[in-house]
Amino acid sequence: MKKLKKKDERIHVRTKGNFHQTLAPMLFLAPNILIFLLFIIIPLFQGLRMAFMDWGIFTVPEFVGLKNFANLFKDEVFLITIKNTIVYSFFAVVLLTVVSLCLALMLSRNSMKGERVFRAVFYIPSLLSMIAVGIAWRFILGDEMGIVNYVLRSMGGSGVKWLTDGNLAMMCVILVSVWASSGYYMIMFISGLQAIPNELYEAATIDGSSPWNTFWRITLPLLRSTVLVVLVLATIASFKAYELIVTMTKGGPGYATKFIVQQVYQVAFQEDRMGYASAMSIVLMVIIGIFTLVQFKFAGKDGQYD
Amino acid sequence: MKRSLVVLFCIFALFSPLFAGGGKESSASDDVTLTVLWFNDANESEVFMDTIQDYLDANPNVKIDLQVIAFGDYEQKLKMMISGGNPPDVARLTTSHVPILAASLEPIDPYLENPEATKAEFMPSMLAFALDKEGQMLAYPTEATANGMIVNLTAWENAGIDVREISKTWTWDEWEEAVKKVIAANEGMKYGLAVDYTIHRFATLLYEFGGSFMNEDQTAFDMVKEENINAINYFKHLHDEGLVPQSVWLGSENPAELFQAGLVACHIGGSWNINTYNTNVKDFEWTVVSTPKGEINSSVPGGKFIGAFKDGKNKEAAMDLMAWFSDKAHNEKYCLDTFNLSSRADAEIEYPTNSAEFAVFQHDLSITPAFTAVEWGNAKVTQLSTFMVEQIVQVLLGNQTAEEACQAIQARSEA
Repeated sequence: MKKLKKKDERIHVRTKGNFHQTLAPMLFLAPNILIFLLFIIIPLFQGLRMAFMDWGIFTVPEFVGLKNFANLFKDEVFLITIKNTIVYSFFAVVLLTVVSLCLALMLSRNSMKGERVFRAVFYIPSLLSMIAVGIAWRFILGDEMGIVNYVLRSMGGSGVKWLTDGNLAMMCVILVSVWASSGYYMIMFISGLQAIPNELYEAATIDGSSPWNTFWRITLPLLRSTVLVVLVLATIASFKAYELIVTMTKGGPGYATKFIVQQVYQVAFQEDRMGYASAMSIVLMVIIGIFTLVQFKFAGKDGQYD
Repeated sequence: MKRSLVVLFCIFALFSPLFAGGGKESSASDDVTLTVLWFNDANESEVFMDTIQDYLDANPNVKIDLQVIAFGDYEQKLKMMISGGNPPDVARLTTSHVPILAASLEPIDPYLENPEATKAEFMPSMLAFALDKEGQMLAYPTEATANGMIVNLTAWENAGIDVREISKTWTWDEWEEAVKKVIAANEGMKYGLAVDYTIHRFATLLYEFGGSFMNEDQTAFDMVKEENINAINYFKHLHDEGLVPQSVWLGSENPAELFQAGLVACHIGGSWNINTYNTNVKDFEWTVVSTPKGEINSSVPGGKFIGAFKDGKNKEAAMDLMAWFSDKAHNEKYCLDTFNLSSRADAEIEYPTNSAEFAVFQHDLSITPAFTAVEWGNAKVTQLSTFMVEQIVQVLLGNQTAEEACQAIQARSEA
């Protein structure tokens, strides 16, 4: 067979005067490009510009160079929120990926009775507003008024400081995040699993491959692109976690569950330091970018992203 | 080619409304739609609409577009609207909003026939929040609020203590001794005091201990002083003694819910709680008493306001509506139906219940030092409120001393 050369892959089309292939696609893309430009690109550059300014929401911005960035790394609270965000993201993303993959493996083979019902049950939490989820879990885990401690106390126990002990509060926030989002990623894994040809499993069975071996040799390699998408989406979502945390713990106790986005909000809208908050946002964007690139590098080798 | 033109036409038709101008349509007549931004403590938006119904009847060309926003999102929404050049025509404001938004609020004086006479209609402490540096009124005070101590009367009676009597002269030490007896006498009662998780409510304790956020001439933050350190240390002591539930300041439980559940003997809340407790508390009697004395007796004054904005599109109509809503008769009706203290000096409201409770709040307000109102009229105090709460929590957790907390707040104020 003749090997395709780079130049052979090019498709030559007559473009001049061909409305359908030149202007029409651009016109159909225009609304999306406009929205992307207005709500993503322009605010991004605006944010970048503001990061170099001393700016309150009602005051005239004043250029301060790198002062905001220099101050960031002397700001203890900001450094704590970065640490918290990374810890939370690491555990939440790992657990989310593992739990949603396990759920998908259980519920993708059409071999269990009521499989669709279970899928719906696991998916429903991801449809809920994170604010509602946070408030509901605060009622469940509250020290004094919480349902769990009420049950523990009525059985003679003394209750657990779910949300007033720093480590426990972080653990609760991670677990609730996993509970709330795993259904969403489960659906992605299910669609990935269903795209794997059955013949491969049949061949593996004929060859005497154990289920464990089949998972590692067939399922996981062919799910790599889905795993990568889940990792990237879950990482970005976890770095931007806000509503759940604010409603469940308000970032406490102390700074134990305070993440970057909450700090950005507080500095921008309560302390009215928009420039400083913009610098925080830029740092957050860079961190997310680095993590995403690392994930692409390690999980998406050979450019197999789809 | 024809099909392409049809496609182009469809795209244009689909997006043309986007570019058809963002403002409201205005007809040839004088029809005005006033955008009113509001938040609720209880039923205020409903009562507001009810109160201005006669204004709307008398001005059929005026329509109200009432947008009720959750308080947590309110300030951000309002700021974004103002900075975007599209403020509401009228907005409900708190004491902390007025100084922050002062530059954007439309002064009311030019719209009044006799500004000084109008100003004289309001309580001086409330008016102080609403004035700009030139003495112009930026917003109409609507309700006055005061911090104070709400107690579970039934629980105190069970302990054989006449809380109404002893609270007339009690100190914090005497309160501590008494409240321990109350906890012991009531099965299911676990704590002596719940304090709302805000710096505003903590300020009650701060002022009682002789402290303040600002220096004497109100020109700069002055946090590092013995009185402030003592107040924070006493608050920590109450937590360490188990008299205050950790789940409020370290967790995120609602102190009002703990009080309503009968778990705490006292709640440092505010006059707005009267409405809520009237509705929700069914299992025991409650009342309001004077807060125990520290160095002094003090409450924290506060209030709600309505204001219009310089960039508002219907300023004349907005001023007209606000003046109507703030006159004696309408203000009395609004405060009566929302169970709030009036901010008018001439208000005479006969509340159907809880007159005694309102009287205690009024009394506490009357003995509160005047500087407290000035402090809460300073934007910096509001801007640093969350940071100050966080620093106090660090003390409660044992991560720093009260002095370090005060130093951190001072440093942040100077940043």
